[in-house]
Amino acid sequence: MWHERDGCERFDELISFYLPDSIKTAVRGIKREYLIELEELRIRAGQPLMGVFAGFDRFIGRDGFLSDNPQFGLIVSPKEVDNLFMLLCEHSVYAYQDDISRGFITLKGGHRAGICGTVIYEGNNIRGMKDISSVNIRFSRQIKDCARDVFGHIVRNKQDIYNTLILSPPRCGKTTLLRDLCRMVSSGTGTSFKGLRTAVIDERSELAASYRGVPQNDLGPRTDVLDGCRKSEGIEIMLRGMAPQVIVVDELGATRDPDAIKMAWNAGVRIIATAHAYGLDDFKRRLGIGQLAAKDGFERIILLGMDNGKRWVRVMDAYGNELSGLVKIDRLSDGIRGLYGIRDEAVGKAGRETACLIKTHGDPA
Amino acid sequence: MEILLNLKNQICSLGVPLYAAFEEIGTEGTGGLWSEIFLRCSQVMKEQRMDAGSAWKKAISENRGLLPLESSDWDSIDDFGELLGKSDRYNQEAVLDMARESIAVLEKKAEEAVRTKGKLYRNLGALCGAAVVILLI
Repeated sequence: MWHERDGCERFDELISFYLPDSIKTAVRGIKREYLIELEELRIRAGQPLMGVFAGFDRFIGRDGFLSDNPQFGLIVSPKEVDNLFMLLCEHSVYAYQDDISRGFITLKGGHRAGICGTVIYEGNNIRGMKDISSVNIRFSRQIKDCARDVFGHIVRNKQDIYNTLILSPPRCGKTTLLRDLCRMVSSGTGTSFKGLRTAVIDERSELAASYRGVPQNDLGPRTDVLDGCRKSEGIEIMLRGMAPQVIVVDELGATRDPDAIKMAWNAGVRIIATAHAYGLDDFKRRLGIGQLAAKDGFERIILLGMDNGKRWVRVMDAYGNELSGLVKIDRLSDGIRGLYGIRDEAVGKAGRETACLIKTHGDPA
Repeated sequence: MEILLNLKNQICSLGVPLYAAFEEIGTEGTGGLWSEIFLRCSQVMKEQRMDAGSAWKKAISENRGLLPLESSDWDSIDDFGELLGKSDRYNQEAVLDMARESIAVLEKKAEEAVRTKGKLYRNLGALCGAAVVILLI
């Protein structure tokens, strides 16, 4: 799906730029109906090549054949993993050493490669990594207009928005939704809402996906991006220097985050943020950041989840009153349903969906 | 030497990827034929996704005939790119310092050769002059 929305060129660019020949051949051999659902490519030294398709793992054979049997997967040699790592670093490890010490490299096109190996310490700080053993390429996907249904709920008036918090378990689409909300807030929607000056603190380079200083994703014409900066420091820098009307941050959680958010609110700046949580109550229990959902805190809460292969979205006010009906978006294509021979119940048992169901609605059993 | 200092700055201070650093040095054009070699190396790295060691060797081999170096000198020059880009800034600094030292040795050797051969040609010139005078007498 994402290829069609964002253009195949980003994906093709990734394949031809970075992947070693054997992996390139295997990925190019995957049937298109499955390829469009590819979210991650997991490459481990001495292990079979694996892909994550719409949340499900499958081993990828030499010619692109998919199987749940590891024996059919293309075995990747340690040398190939090393070659891949050097290609990801553009044969210039030193140029990526800060990224490497954080455990990932942002690639051209906004994709991201997580890396594992032997960590090198200098005193108490990680200096780098050597003997790379695993690479996880996570494909970037900007889905424009995916926030259209919820955008109306966060608009206060023509020139203002509500402080908004997006909550969900991992991999339910928080960052994708945040990115699109940022784009819409910055661009405006014609006469009904004028765009606002927006500052993005992109601590993990995921929102803008800046590659050598150039954002790879469209975050709107009034957006300034502070890349690779901690949220607490970034908010202060932006308030001091860029006079934003809205600040966008991903994944609240550090102990210093609440103070920084309050500092922005004191300056009259609106915040749109995300956090890992299974629901509003779960978030409120979090040490430190939980207080941000109290009175005078976030005014709109957007909950995301997955249920039977369908993503759902709920919008609530600060008191937990629902503002929107349950919106379900079908996520699995017919190709993926065919691949797994899925009945709806089976899909529902997939790991993250079950976690999401249990935590948000109670154990379905 | 100036090129190496520039390269050290690009790598260790600015963290510019090698292909871009080579391109920058090449387009500055202060290194004569070496500028051409750096440009070619950058081009090979970009287009063929090759590492610095292989790209450097390729660029050097294409220009071998144009450089007045002895075969023992080529061995040191050939290996120049081998360790570039393969480690962090701290180690790259050590690699570049090592390269500077080996180039300094080459330079010294060349100067020595100029001195020795210069003396030889001067003596040869004087002898030829004397021979011409004897013949004329």
